Amino acid sequence: MIEELPIAALAARVRAGDITATQVAERVIARVAALDPRLHAFLETSPDALLAQARAVDDKRAQGEPLGALAGVPVALKDALCTRGRVTTAGSKILGGYRPPYDATVVARLAAADALLPGKTNMDEFAMGSSTEHSAFGPTRNPWDEARAPGGSSGGSAVAVAARMTPASLGSDTGGSIRQPAAFTGVVGVKPTYGRVSRYGLIAFASSLDQIGPFATDVRGAARVLEVIAGHDPRDATSLAAPTAAYESACDAPVRGLRIGVPDEYFAEGLDPEVEASVRAAIGALEKDGCTIKRIRLPHTSYAVATYYVIATAEASSNLARFDGVRYGLRIEKTHDLRQMYGDTRDAGFGAEVKRRILLGTFVLSAGYYDAYYLKAQKVRTLIRRDFDAAFAEVDAIACPTAPTCAFKLGDKLTDPLSMYLSDIYTLPASLAGIPALSVPAARGASGLPIGLQLLAPSLEESRLFALAAAVERHVGIAAPAMSALA
Amino acid sequence: MPAQRARLDRAQIDHIAKLAALSLSDAEAHALASELDAILRHVEQLDSLDTTDVPPTTDLLAGSAGAGPGLPAGSGWREDRVLPGVSHDDALAAAPRSSLGGFAVPTFVDANATAPAAAPKRHA
Repeated sequence: MIEELPIAALAARVRAGDITATQVAERVIARVAALDPRLHAFLETSPDALLAQARAVDDKRAQGEPLGALAGVPVALKDALCTRGRVTTAGSKILGGYRPPYDATVVARLAAADALLPGKTNMDEFAMGSSTEHSAFGPTRNPWDEARAPGGSSGGSAVAVAARMTPASLGSDTGGSIRQPAAFTGVVGVKPTYGRVSRYGLIAFASSLDQIGPFATDVRGAARVLEVIAGHDPRDATSLAAPTAAYESACDAPVRGLRIGVPDEYFAEGLDPEVEASVRAAIGALEKDGCTIKRIRLPHTSYAVATYYVIATAEASSNLARFDGVRYGLRIEKTHDLRQMYGDTRDAGFGAEVKRRILLGTFVLSAGYYDAYYLKAQKVRTLIRRDFDAAFAEVDAIACPTAPTCAFKLGDKLTDPLSMYLSDIYTLPASLAGIPALSVPAARGASGLPIGLQLLAPSLEESRLFALAAAVERHVGIAAPAMSALA
Repeated sequence: MPAQRARLDRAQIDHIAKLAALSLSDAEAHALASELDAILRHVEQLDSLDTTDVPPTTDLLAGSAGAGPGLPAGSGWREDRVLPGVSHDDALAAAPRSSLGGFAVPTFVDANATAPAAAPKRHA
């Protein structure tokens, strides 16, 4: 079956002509039709556009032109990524029906590599959430247990891959929004170094944290997608000029001799014992491969949640000021008063979590409170970065859990915003430091739910993450949820 | 230690909502006051850290602080050149209302209007 092929093998078969891109597209359409009414990973799919893309790839091959690295590989897109002429909502009613006039750079790069782009995936509104329950268009369900959340905010992109509707997808990660849903759904998820992937065309949440990255069924596939989307873009002033590395070939690099730090603070109170056992077993597998395991300290870890929620909400309150009903999206115009129009539009268009964060961010930036909250948090952020500086003087990479528990039940954390925020404790520090991080499946727990191992490396050392993740993958393997009744 | 800590009451919420251009219902404002107050109390744990001589993080791309080896210096500023961008028509295409080649808003543009236009209008 097409959906069982790893990404590199699928692209190779399409390039060789063993499978046509049209056959791949037809299989995606069939699986989405069978599975997505239950899972709700997608907000928008366009079978006609998908078949047209596939025909273009097949025509290109028929004319003897060389095909790209993702020839015929379907890649689902988080709905925070702008797609020219295709509805892009960021999971919000305030952008309901919005069709951007341009493609995000990552979308253009995928298309140039001959990938197929079947649709846009569900997400927490403006990426604010850890469960995809804050989407204005209803939650996404976890294919391992449909009563559970897939994590978030890129839950739709994670589920598209976990349920093998597409072998890869793109998400965005501000405080864990790729890694945590990857762990919850048993797929590979990568948050690259801050600045490694262009954010041109990503609907902004928190600009000092947001980064685009891939989900994939296998480590090598994730590396290949990152290789296609990474690299400098003059349209994003925060995009790094440094050359990209050969991430895919890094998957075959030896890990013997690498020093792996295991931070005490990530194995503390609140960590589910089953998650701890699985993560320690995966670290043990790396030791068998010749890695040196070393206990380390990251002493400011417990301050990451407070630091993050000040900085991210402050930046969000500024970024989301652009949604005022003037240039695009929803407008509520009941009177001839401009201020009233802004207020009414934003009240009707934003959901509860977005309002909560805009208000918190406005407060921490407001006169009289800036020093006590925002400036203080930016200073603590420096302390968190210094923790990693000190650690990477002693070790080459860090291994820890991605999330403290397996996927929680839909509704479980919805009424208590703070408990939802605290579930991000292990993913936030890497976001605050700007370093690359990856979640790879480590095991399935007794309940059958997947558990993720998180790997962290110094800036621009994504290759090291891929080498280590590929080693873990060789020991653990990655299964797909049993959905045979539907497939 | 920062001394200025607020209890978020209803009056505070109304003030912030005005700054954020959000019209809130009574029920929303009431719920948000207690939720935000709980989050701010969690944030207060940052006060236990002495940051007197710690500089704030202002640019993740600058230098190698916290970022490990290998990160180049900040990408700096690009040259200020005019390049092709989104066309005028494309930029106006998604506007809820446009007029005379611009975005139409109440009062300023429609000083003499009698009713908000229901349908989007475009002027190329």
